Amino acid sequence: MAELWNTIILEPVLNSLIALCTMLGGSFGLAIIVLTVVVRLALFPLTVRQTQSTKAMQTLQPKIQELQKKYAKNQQKLQQEMMKLYKEAGINPLGCLWPMLIQLPIWIALYQSIMQALAATPENLLNLSQHLYSWAVVGQAVPLNDQFLWLHLSRPDPNLILAILVGGTMWVQQKMVTPPATDSRQQSMTSMTTMMMPLMFGFFTLSFPSGLALYWVVSNIIGIIIQYFVSGGWGYLRAPSAPKAGPTPEQKPVPVQKISPSQQPSKMVQKATEESKTLKKASEEKKRGLFGR
Amino acid sequence: MVNKVTSFFKFKAKRLSLIFCLIALSLLIPGCTGPGYQGWSGFAGHDGILYFGTMDGRVIAINTSARSQGLPFPSEGEWALSVKAPAAAGGMCGPVGCVPAAQPATVYATPVVAGNLVYVATYAGDNGKVMAINRLAPGYDKDGIPAWNEGEWFYPRKENKFIGAVVGSPIVVEDILYVGSSDGKLYALDAKGNEKWAPFETGDKIWTSPAVKDNAVYVSNYGRKLCVVSIADGSLLWEIELPVAIASSPVISGDSVYFGTFDRLLYAVAIVDGSERWKFEGGNWFWATPIVKDGVVYAGCLDHQVYAFDASTGEKLWQFVADAPIASAPVLSDNLLVAASESGVIYVLEPDSGDLVRTVSIGYSVMAPLYAEGNMVYVHARNRCVYAIDVQNGDKVWEFCYSDIK
Repeated sequence: MAELWNTIILEPVLNSLIALCTMLGGSFGLAIIVLTVVVRLALFPLTVRQTQSTKAMQTLQPKIQELQKKYAKNQQKLQQEMMKLYKEAGINPLGCLWPMLIQLPIWIALYQSIMQALAATPENLLNLSQHLYSWAVVGQAVPLNDQFLWLHLSRPDPNLILAILVGGTMWVQQKMVTPPATDSRQQSMTSMTTMMMPLMFGFFTLSFPSGLALYWVVSNIIGIIIQYFVSGGWGYLRAPSAPKAGPTPEQKPVPVQKISPSQQPSKMVQKATEESKTLKKASEEKKRGLFGR
Repeated sequence: MVNKVTSFFKFKAKRLSLIFCLIALSLLIPGCTGPGYQGWSGFAGHDGILYFGTMDGRVIAINTSARSQGLPFPSEGEWALSVKAPAAAGGMCGPVGCVPAAQPATVYATPVVAGNLVYVATYAGDNGKVMAINRLAPGYDKDGIPAWNEGEWFYPRKENKFIGAVVGSPIVVEDILYVGSSDGKLYALDAKGNEKWAPFETGDKIWTSPAVKDNAVYVSNYGRKLCVVSIADGSLLWEIELPVAIASSPVISGDSVYFGTFDRLLYAVAIVDGSERWKFEGGNWFWATPIVKDGVVYAGCLDHQVYAFDASTGEKLWQFVADAPIASAPVLSDNLLVAASESGVIYVLEPDSGDLVRTVSIGYSVMAPLYAEGNMVYVHARNRCVYAIDVQNGDKVWEFCYSDIK
């Protein structure tokens, strides 16, 4: 299994990275940036699909929450209704998962390639020999020069600059896609999750080679750019604090009104119109082309 | 069915993403840590005692006679000394553990013995030190501080000063020790630890051993250079720049210098001006230092083969296919050529024909250069054990494992 992984995925990425390093005048830092951009661009259609699916799912959230409240005691009915809702909106609930699954091996291969190529110790360098092609451009680059800007790419950044960049860009990216929670308990959990990942990766940066941290920063920045153009703007990053009933940032909370029995039909019509709007919006999110806002 | 899918997505999505994260982490971790290598240093032998370094920062002396008799360690002349790691102030901690400002010391370089001193060079992250240890009376005082005996020293002398980390083994010629380090400098130290001349700056990391011939030191760096430095004053005599960096330590024999490069070539260049004599392309790097005997160059290659070349013409005389890459430098013992593969198989070959005489399997990877005395070959394997093999009959005469030695 490991052999197959190395041959099909790791080695092509690793050798491309090293060849790129030679072509860029021996700068491994530039090679990391360029390859990260190339990989992210190659996976762009998948990323767009994933982003659109996620956003479409988020658009349906108010409706889903409504259904959850309505059918809290009847799970089977709830599932039927939810499926109906997805069907009407033309959304596959697993649609945002598959693009992520396809991208995952490429990201892992890129990560492993950076770690292997840097070969900080003699045993790492020796190990690298078993994964290199006989291309002249590859042989010329080895052993790689790990100097880039103020960094030694095979060692952690002694300053906090990279850690802050990694944590900061990751927080922005997460914040852009995380919808505000509906209740205070959920809200505190969401904000903790949004903070935990950037903090964790910031800490990782202090102990991992800075070449890897450079990849994280570049990857996050590209993620933010894609998110910005695909989802239309800064998303939930610019949204105000969590609304009480959990509508999307574009939706204004409607004040609760006491309705007399005579007003019931008009309320039902209003509700039906809102439902129709939500479904239409979700459907549009999915159909919306690149850079559509 | 549709309901099941929806239910699966709704209730399992978070758990699923957690599982994916765990799978990703399991793939990421081997990528960053790599295999834990042990047994990198070769042996320096003197008076029946073998001296070698370990990856946990120790220098160990073992008595071959005591080991063959199965006597308890330490017996006469035997000791184990921990090389102290540099002071670790200002370390940083992350969720995966702490990174000390100074890395623990390890010993990649093969020690060298001259007189009563055994010279050891260390590797601790970016830093290194050269130490001269009294091989007859090493040790610590009651506070655990190295008891520096008469004649012992470390370089640089100030405790908080370092040279670059040392990978290539030092050599001693006419009481002068020559060692290259990761800071790109070649150092020449006398028997008291004083600089013979100011360190020679090569311009890039040195991870190979220097070689000395005719009042000149030959040293290669990872900046693609082979530099030749005067023994007298440390001045540059000449240098050549190759298309790629040099992988193996240079070896001098007759009027040629032999070394392997990272473009899979084995080079022979003239000792006087570095002009190319011949080159041979293998299937991978010639990482191990070649050996030259009676006009034949024997070179192990990471393409799983051992090659023999005519030293003057570069004509390939024979090649032997092993089961795994040859990273360890081969050795000639009792008119037989002995090479070890990374899979832990020791091959005993006829040096004239490359015919296999016998194999001995120790089952653990070998990267350290082999060492021969008489008909015995000593192997430092990855499992933190030393094996003594009789090349005449292939017997494993004794083995000594040091992981439990305090």
